[in-house]
Amino acid sequence: MKRKMVSVMLATAMLVTMLAGCGSGDGGAAGSAGGSTAGDAAGNGDTSGSTDGNGVSDGEQITLKLFSNLPDRKNGQGLVEQTIIDEYMVENPNVTIEVEALDEEAYKTKFKAYSMYGMPDVVSIWGQPAFLDEVVAANVLAELNAEDYTDYKFVEGSLDGFTYDGKLYGLPRNTDIAVFYYNQKMFDDNGWTIPETYDDLLALADEINAVGITPVAMDGGDGWPLAVYLSDLLYQIVGNDYADIVSDAFADSDFSAPEITEAVELLKQAADAKLFQNGYDSQDYGTAMNLFTNGQAAMFYMGSWETSMATNEDIPEDIRENIRVFTMPAVEGGKAASTDIAAWNGGGYAVSANSEVQGEAVKFLNYMYQPDKLSKYGWENGVGLSAQDQGDYLTGSETELQKQIIDILNASTSLSGTPINDCGPSTFKATIESAIQNVSNGTTTVDDFLSIIGTSCQ
Amino acid sequence: MKKLYSNKLVILSLVLPGVLLFVFAILAPICLSVYYGFTDYSGMGSYQMIGFENYRNLFTDKTFGIALRNSLLLAVGFICIQHPLALITAAVLDKLGGRGENFFRCVYFIPNVISVAVIAYLWKFIYNPDFGLLNNILKAFGGRGDTNWFDSKTAIWAVLIVLIWHGFGWGMLIYYTGIKNIDPVLYEAATIDGANQITTFLKITLPLMKPVIQVNVTMAVISALKQMETVYLLTNGGPGNSTQFTANYLYQQAFKAFRYGYGNAIGVVFIIICLAVTVGLNKVFEEPEERKLKKRKRIRAKAKGVS
Repeated sequence: MKRKMVSVMLATAMLVTMLAGCGSGDGGAAGSAGGSTAGDAAGNGDTSGSTDGNGVSDGEQITLKLFSNLPDRKNGQGLVEQTIIDEYMVENPNVTIEVEALDEEAYKTKFKAYSMYGMPDVVSIWGQPAFLDEVVAANVLAELNAEDYTDYKFVEGSLDGFTYDGKLYGLPRNTDIAVFYYNQKMFDDNGWTIPETYDDLLALADEINAVGITPVAMDGGDGWPLAVYLSDLLYQIVGNDYADIVSDAFADSDFSAPEITEAVELLKQAADAKLFQNGYDSQDYGTAMNLFTNGQAAMFYMGSWETSMATNEDIPEDIRENIRVFTMPAVEGGKAASTDIAAWNGGGYAVSANSEVQGEAVKFLNYMYQPDKLSKYGWENGVGLSAQDQGDYLTGSETELQKQIIDILNASTSLSGTPINDCGPSTFKATIESAIQNVSNGTTTVDDFLSIIGTSCQ
Repeated sequence: MKKLYSNKLVILSLVLPGVLLFVFAILAPICLSVYYGFTDYSGMGSYQMIGFENYRNLFTDKTFGIALRNSLLLAVGFICIQHPLALITAAVLDKLGGRGENFFRCVYFIPNVISVAVIAYLWKFIYNPDFGLLNNILKAFGGRGDTNWFDSKTAIWAVLIVLIWHGFGWGMLIYYTGIKNIDPVLYEAATIDGANQITTFLKITLPLMKPVIQVNVTMAVISALKQMETVYLLTNGGPGNSTQFTANYLYQQAFKAFRYGYGNAIGVVFIIICLAVTVGLNKVFEEPEERKLKKRKRIRAKAKGVS
């Protein structure tokens, strides 16, 4: 009898610990998936009061979940985003905005998980097929009313990447331009001049290498900067036929067009001429940028979002004050004018289709895009160009680098649109960003490269 | 107490947590993987069943071939380089005695204590062609010091060295513990019989360490096949796909290329390979006597069946 008692007690103890274990497990899961559950809970709480779907009655507490790809909340674009959030919460004391921020790759992975189990209310997105095609097909984003934004001064064509079948699913945040940042002091000291043509650029590479400096710091380890470089070259070769040639290539899964072949060969020529640093194809963003900001490289090929280098106090003063830019020099026989530049509207924001507080989410989105918010603050913080007209916010105290960038954009006669790696399905993106390393370093031939990327979008 | 353990209720309550954990954390995900492996699921939205399409693609996928080859290369590296070295080091350490023994045991184990992220970045800087330690050392010795260690032809070797170095301490520690468990009387007897160090190592240490070696090698091979974190942080499979490993490729396909179904198909093939390798290794390590015994049993069972 005694033994039986003991055994029953043991069994009960086991069960209790097990249940306790399960219980804490649930708690942990809820915590880690906090994004959706907390958002839903908050949403359920207020639906009763906000049935009008637009704003909420006074005093009703609302929690908005913002999922962002800007983890650095104290600098650059992340600071701009956080400033607007703080202002919105001051103006709307009943609204609490919870931010979850991850860097790009982790963001995209978690975005996918959220799309299956409930999306936060406002999310960062990219208005490019490689990202948005699948997302729109999965019906996780709310349709926005395009007419609401006629007064928001969006740059012409900047909403195209976010529009599917005439329906608008998101708003662009930036206008990105691909540029060569260069160290003007280094150029002057050595008597180097800004290359007029692509051949000049390659010749300049020899001169720079001769004094033991890396000509261009390239983030080749990630693949996409190489793909942007390739798109830049292709745009120089074909000018405004760029979009047609790229879309034809995708339609036929055939990239063997002579213009594309030529662009790939020009990229390979650059690598062969040692334009990029030794081992560029395995070095990441930070390493490449450090080469430039430490004065070990004369140039750095990157997007205009790095304009804030000019105000970054971590960079030695004699370097950050001498950073200037030029765009891809003309290719011999190319159709693009020198004012035709590789630029596109990439990142932006959207609202979740299943948000319980969609009305408030859209209200917040519109608040962010009021021209004197994202656009103005972005300009003041030197985080590059917004997708809205920023002409009104020039203060005269901009850095030389900022002025140069805005001049380039203002003087531009035509913009390329989305880089080639983001024009197709994500399988294509993954393939080209890996294969482009091999073709530039000579491991695969140009023809093989073109057939590999062609196969990947079948 | 004995009776307590024969009580079914107690047995159930003791076994249940383990069984539940196995079912929900291992078995169910595997079943889901098999299911998604037959779909064209992108990870979002709807999907369709496409039968063996993913598997057919897998067998013609060159990158998967490279990834698998690299994983196997790493396994071979572990077996042929890391483990013999670890075993010898453990034996030498055992003979060292005193403070030196403790000191070196700690030193060799340090890489295992440091986070993988730190290890990866450490080696990234060591290998950097522009300002890396390795090239600077070469320069100091009069070399050119401009070697690109992550060149697409040599990158895999650079990565293998890091992985072999990183896992070395772990293997060594297990061997060391194994050696410490060998009865010193055996060594004394051998010494009296006039055996030297090498003979005692070959005739006493090695045969007695067999079970330890078996466990260690099996674990090493599986960890080679599963390799992901270091490679992901060090090269992410690049340049091109020259340092691609199976687990990293699976991740890239499932979460970056939006081919969740395909990623799951890779996962399924991966599980099959891991199981096959484990079974294979067990066969290799099976004692000849054991094998004979099993054979005899089978024959006897057959004979019984006939009669």
